[in-house]
Amino acid sequence: MLAVEARGLTKTFRTGWLHRRRTEALRGVSLEVPRGAIFGLLGPNGAGKTTLLSILATLLLPDAGSATVLGLDVVRESLAVRRRLNMASGNASFVWSLRPAEVLMFYGRLYGLSGGALRRRVEELVELCELTSHRKTEYNELSTGLKQRLAFAKALLNEPEVLFLDEPTLGLDPDVSIRIRAQIARLRRERGTTIILTTHYMREAEELCDDIAFIKAGRILAQGAPDALKRQIRLGEVIALRLDPLEPAGLASLPGVLECRLREEHLECAVDAADKRLPEILRWLHEQGVVVRHCEVREPDLEEVFVELNR
Amino acid sequence: MASVSEPALRADGLRAEWTRTWAFACRNVIMARRNVFFVFELTFWPGVAMLSHGLLTQFLALTPEMTAFILSGTVALSAVQVCQLDVAYAVLFDIWSKSMKHQFLAPVGIRHLALGSWLVGVARGLIVFGLMAFIGTRAFGFDFLGGGAGSLAAFLAGCFLCALVIGLLVCTLVLLFGTRAETSAWAAVNLIVMLAGIYYPISVLPGWVAAISAAIPLTYFLDAFRAGYGFDSQFSAPLTKGFALALLYVALAHWALAAAITRARRTGLLLKLSE
Repeated sequence: MLAVEARGLTKTFRTGWLHRRRTEALRGVSLEVPRGAIFGLLGPNGAGKTTLLSILATLLLPDAGSATVLGLDVVRESLAVRRRLNMASGNASFVWSLRPAEVLMFYGRLYGLSGGALRRRVEELVELCELTSHRKTEYNELSTGLKQRLAFAKALLNEPEVLFLDEPTLGLDPDVSIRIRAQIARLRRERGTTIILTTHYMREAEELCDDIAFIKAGRILAQGAPDALKRQIRLGEVIALRLDPLEPAGLASLPGVLECRLREEHLECAVDAADKRLPEILRWLHEQGVVVRHCEVREPDLEEVFVELNR
Repeated sequence: MASVSEPALRADGLRAEWTRTWAFACRNVIMARRNVFFVFELTFWPGVAMLSHGLLTQFLALTPEMTAFILSGTVALSAVQVCQLDVAYAVLFDIWSKSMKHQFLAPVGIRHLALGSWLVGVARGLIVFGLMAFIGTRAFGFDFLGGGAGSLAAFLAGCFLCALVIGLLVCTLVLLFGTRAETSAWAAVNLIVMLAGIYYPISVLPGWVAAISAAIPLTYFLDAFRAGYGFDSQFSAPLTKGFALALLYVALAHWALAAAITRARRTGLLLKLSE
């Protein structure tokens, strides 16, 4: 059963005098997200991630293509879709004079909650997102981290079956980011919430997501599980070496070596098969009189996949 | 962070309809309590308007009837202004705080935001009227009940309906043109009240302007109220025409705002207003 299905979504923004300037934000994006999955949308700034999320969240109408959330069409059945989803973004903002509980009360009422059920829900979320000691603080006096936590709490008000998170940990302190990530994982584990998140942090995506789509210039370049993506991009494995001299000439042209890159004090060589190439490389280095101070074999991380796809 | 244990919460039905409407009313009340400029809207400007116009009528040595004619215009302007601002705030608060998308991400309709904020607008409009009536009666001997309680109630109801239309139009303009249209929240009412014959009968206006005036419901409400002070009515059945026009415009303004929201979803303005 799919939570989200998109077929050939396109969106062009027209700006400037007489709307002559055109920006193609999405160029035929198709996507399938199963229920209960955490799905990551990765890509550079302006790639179309937020546009895609906004269409799925019924905030934006597509020019062409179709999309459903929980089997409901996001254009024709938008009201029914809105009851069952919610969204939080890293740069969220709320009305300046309201206190955290008042913000939650306002949006809770918009979702039709009232009386004791609303009060209990708000209390629960204030506690969950550790806002209890800031109850009396007006929104514009809250720190960035607290504002983000409030945005996260607001996104949970209606117990959404599908939750969109647009850069949920953007600009947060590491400890707050860790707690938000833990909460995201718990939501899926305990409630089976389908979560689609956009992020710039590859480690966040690698830690949380079952599937990832790389989006660039409005097109999905690659999609799949993090490990499958690494294989799909054919980055091979990485042999990280600390050598003396640092970067011996000729190493990159050895058989099976796909690429060598200097990263800080390490020379990172992408190879087709580490178990076969490592002895050959070490032998060659020995013959060249190069001292090997450290050697390590690892899989490429998502960051490297991202860099590769961005080329 | 602890874990959430509440079962799925998704409300619908009449109670939920009212709750959504009430949300906007509560927000406007909280904002009115916490922001000093609301106090100015409610007391300072209406008070200044009533005092300055009342003093003008004394300086010109106007008859009690003419004083009623002028001061009824002053009351109309202030009551409509305050009430329509509350309706416009349903959208303006979200624009000023860049939180527009959250409101339209929730399953709310125009009826919720319009009715909820209008209810607070009516309450604030009544406070403004009470203040102005107090000043007008004590300082200038103006009897607001001179035309009868029914006439006053119809006049105020007409003013508040006009305010709802103007407020919805301001919301529409803001969602069509973005923050550039914010000033319409303060400008629109002055233009409309001027055309409706605020301090003069519309017969003094040029023919084509008077034709526009005849399409404004407030013109009829002012006409009917002033008739209670002995002025000849310029229209037959002014209250019926006024209410019919006002209700037609409420429906049209609702449709216009719905169209503007759809357009904002298509152009991306809804998102831009949240950035």
